[in-house]
Amino acid sequence: MVRVKSRYLLCEINVSDRRDLLKLDDRAVAGSVKAAVARTHGDYGAALCSIRFCVKYLNAHTGIVFLRFHKGCYKLLWSALPFITSIECRGQIIPCFLNCLHVGGTIRTCQKFLIRYNTRQLHQMLPKYKNKEEKRKIQEAILSCSLTGGGNKALEDELESEEEDDE
Amino acid sequence: MRAGAEEAESSGYQRVVLKNASPHHYLKVRLVLEDESARVSAIDLKTFITSCLRSLFGEVGAALNVDVLKYDEETLTALLRVPSRGLVKLWSSLTLQGFYQNRVCAFRVLQVSPFLLALTGNSRD
Repeated sequence: MVRVKSRYLLCEINVSDRRDLLKLDDRAVAGSVKAAVARTHGDYGAALCSIRFCVKYLNAHTGIVFLRFHKGCYKLLWSALPFITSIECRGQIIPCFLNCLHVGGTIRTCQKFLIRYNTRQLHQMLPKYKNKEEKRKIQEAILSCSLTGGGNKALEDELESEEEDDE
Repeated sequence: MRAGAEEAESSGYQRVVLKNASPHHYLKVRLVLEDESARVSAIDLKTFITSCLRSLFGEVGAALNVDVLKYDEETLTALLRVPSRGLVKLWSSLTLQGFYQNRVCAFRVLQVSPFLLALTGNSRD
């Protein structure tokens, strides 16, 4: 039968200061996307944004966000995302930019891509660690991943702990 | 899809059909204001049209190449040129604009054509 189809955009928020990333919440991101669309595409864009747009998932540690758009108008709204220069959250203005990693039809495909992407990031970052102590800590963290549905989250925690060690 | 059907009959009559032949569309519009004595210059009109596009279609809409080819200050009638893919945006933003500097206004679209020559004759008058 006729099914309502959406497009999920997997975006990464890049900030200059990692501590600012933890202050973000989904309503702030949604507000800044709507404001950017209203600036770039006017009333027409703001109206398109009100149909089935929401922030489905936000990970403040890694800066990954899932945005859901309607299938018919996602390209127009996607074109407004590069115009986002800052996100306003609880009175603070955090300068950042968004870059889109993947477009999927369902959340599940986006999650599969995210798992592959995170494992690739892990493989790129691991050779940089010369310190035995840090390597041991990372090995323990990876081995302590639970198999039952915690795969994605555990990998993301990985990345977070690695990046914090990196600073 | 340019030249479509061509028929050559024995009398030498040929019919040529062109689709999307012209890159521009031309509109003849009149700005109707509540008080007749208001003066609107050509530059004011151009700025006003750009602001109409900006309010409805944002920065992308305001970047549309609208040209004012002719403007008559007495009757507030203007001849506009717009690329064909922007015609719907321009026409809809002119239709939905209700205020000019806090005065009630309306745009009456008198003629639209992809060819400038077609605007010389008007079957309505």
